[in-house]
Amino acid sequence: MSTAVPPGGQRTLQKRRQAKSNKDKQLNQTPTSARQAGAGGSSNSILKIYTDEANGLRVDPLVVLFLAVGFIFSVVALHVLTKVTGKIF
Amino acid sequence: MAGFRLINLAKPFLPILPEVEVPYEKIPFDDKMVYTVFASLIYLFAQFPLAGLRKATGEDAAAHAPTVADPLYFFRGVFAMEPKTCLEFGLLPIFAAGLFLQLLAGLKVIKVNFKLAADRQLFQSLTKILAIAQYFVLANIFIASGYYGADLSLPQIVVLNIQLVGGGVFACLLTEVIDKGFGLGSGAMIINTFAVATNLVSDTLGVNQITVDSEGNTEPQGALINLIQGLRAQHKTLVGGIVSAFDRDYLPNLTTCVLVLALGCLVCYIQNIRFELPIRSTRARGTNQMYPVQLVYTGSLSVLFSYVVLFYIHIAAFALIQLVAKNDPASIVCKVLGHYETVNNIIAAPTFPLSMLTPPRSLVGGALSQPLSFVVYSFFILASGVWFAYNWQQVSGMSARDLARDFKEQSITLLGRREQSLPRELNKVIPVAATTGAMVLAAVTIVGELLGLKGKGAGIVVGVAGGFSLLELITMEFQESGGESSLANMLAGGLSL
Amino acid sequence: MAGEKTENNQMEKAMDAPLEFVREGNQFLSKCKKPDLKEYMKIIRAVGIGFVAVGIIGYAIKLIHIPIRYVIV
Repeated sequence: MSTAVPPGGQRTLQKRRQAKSNKDKQLNQTPTSARQAGAGGSSNSILKIYTDEANGLRVDPLVVLFLAVGFIFSVVALHVLTKVTGKIF
Repeated sequence: MAGFRLINLAKPFLPILPEVEVPYEKIPFDDKMVYTVFASLIYLFAQFPLAGLRKATGEDAAAHAPTVADPLYFFRGVFAMEPKTCLEFGLLPIFAAGLFLQLLAGLKVIKVNFKLAADRQLFQSLTKILAIAQYFVLANIFIASGYYGADLSLPQIVVLNIQLVGGGVFACLLTEVIDKGFGLGSGAMIINTFAVATNLVSDTLGVNQITVDSEGNTEPQGALINLIQGLRAQHKTLVGGIVSAFDRDYLPNLTTCVLVLALGCLVCYIQNIRFELPIRSTRARGTNQMYPVQLVYTGSLSVLFSYVVLFYIHIAAFALIQLVAKNDPASIVCKVLGHYETVNNIIAAPTFPLSMLTPPRSLVGGALSQPLSFVVYSFFILASGVWFAYNWQQVSGMSARDLARDFKEQSITLLGRREQSLPRELNKVIPVAATTGAMVLAAVTIVGELLGLKGKGAGIVVGVAGGFSLLELITMEFQESGGESSLANMLAGGLSL
Repeated sequence: MAGEKTENNQMEKAMDAPLEFVREGNQFLSKCKKPDLKEYMKIIRAVGIGFVAVGIIGYAIKLIHIPIRYVIV
């Protein structure tokens, strides 16, 4: 036990406390959110969706940023294309 | 079907679902700042006009001109949606997916065991898939409705889909980069706050000129700049320029700007109302402190939730009215739901009864023509906000019971209360704070919207309240990093008060 | 008669619930600590600076759109 044992009658209190926290643990068998399970995520006033690394196509964050900029410029290029050809497909 | 769980639906999509890596090591505070700002700026940059639409001018413009105006005008400011850009639907699908799924999982409608990493990951992937699916469905509702122009060719439809869904996917990924720990706080919320602040600045101080009439006269976007320029405009008299600066309805005017600023100040005040619980340490004597419980316990999320629900009611009605009934007032659907009337050539205002759930476009006009919407819309926002706040505080892992456990772990307890009654005592405070806070915030939103701010009122509430939640998180993170940040030192004067 | 009465009671209860809720909320609000003027001014200033700073950066990005639009339209 890491904490110092308080003298005298406190022992029973501590036992009771432990029983209580055991009971709490049972109540918490199925947590209702990632945060309750101790894995981070949304809190009372923050919506946080992505906290775990799930399976999928792994990408680096920098790659995401560059791809996003690339995406925008491809839209720009599309604009230019429609203007140059003078018609829309 | 015994083992069927909704989260397993995500499994077949996993191999093609992009997933941002989690950082291998702790990212320094400055880098987080940079990632956050860049992701947000790229989001704003992506609000770029869609390619492949027919131009407003040209020989066949009249035949193919879009017949449908914007039915979502009062959501634009809330979810960073820009009309006719790649981010037509802004962050809405991300918020919708996140809020709904977490609420459903918390209320045990969807079975997820958050203790298992595999379950959490599937749940997270499901949220992302749902968000992208919403982008796809919404895009195609809009394409089919004729919002982007009547009788589009197949290549046009494909190109529009690529742009709208692509924009959505990148919006998801940008929020993910921030969420995963490369940035600060919550991606969706920080980007939203960025967009709200940007809208505020461009509506007040925007210098870009926009053509306002057929003669080619231009007016600046910003209301304040417009006032200054109005003093020496050629196409208006001096008084006319000043009056127009306050009441033009085609671009932001000064009245709305002042109202928006006032609302922002009001939210600042409300955000700082807190209930103080006297606490003491169970280890050491004489260390009494106050534990503040914020009145707005669920922050901006309650308003966001109300607006997500409102959005889906409107989208469902829009799909029925435009796709099924073709907006024909004689049709049975339109008789039941109402139809859309184009106002100012830009916005499509629903008529009774759908108008009951639509904030009025101006206070006086609304009070005369749609008095019922004052009641129904207000009730809707209030009730949904309060309902959400009550449930969210329970499921989000910050409920009275969770807090009591945290207290116990840190060996603190309420002053003058037995330790055993801690959860009960906290339970007296937190749900009340959450519901009351949501009610107050909803009331501010309603006041703003009933004054005719067309979504800017709700936008500033969401922006400022969200900003406060994020600021708290950011200062915490900053302190954790030990304050060793050159960027933060620069900003310290402004932020860490 | 009795049935009518319970119905009335139920109606009353349904009407009372929101009222009760508002009253409870009001009570809670009055017990809350509100920021004083000095604190509030500080907050407003900080939030204002933050919002305007962020907004100007964002608006600068939006301004890049204008020349691009000009070229492509």
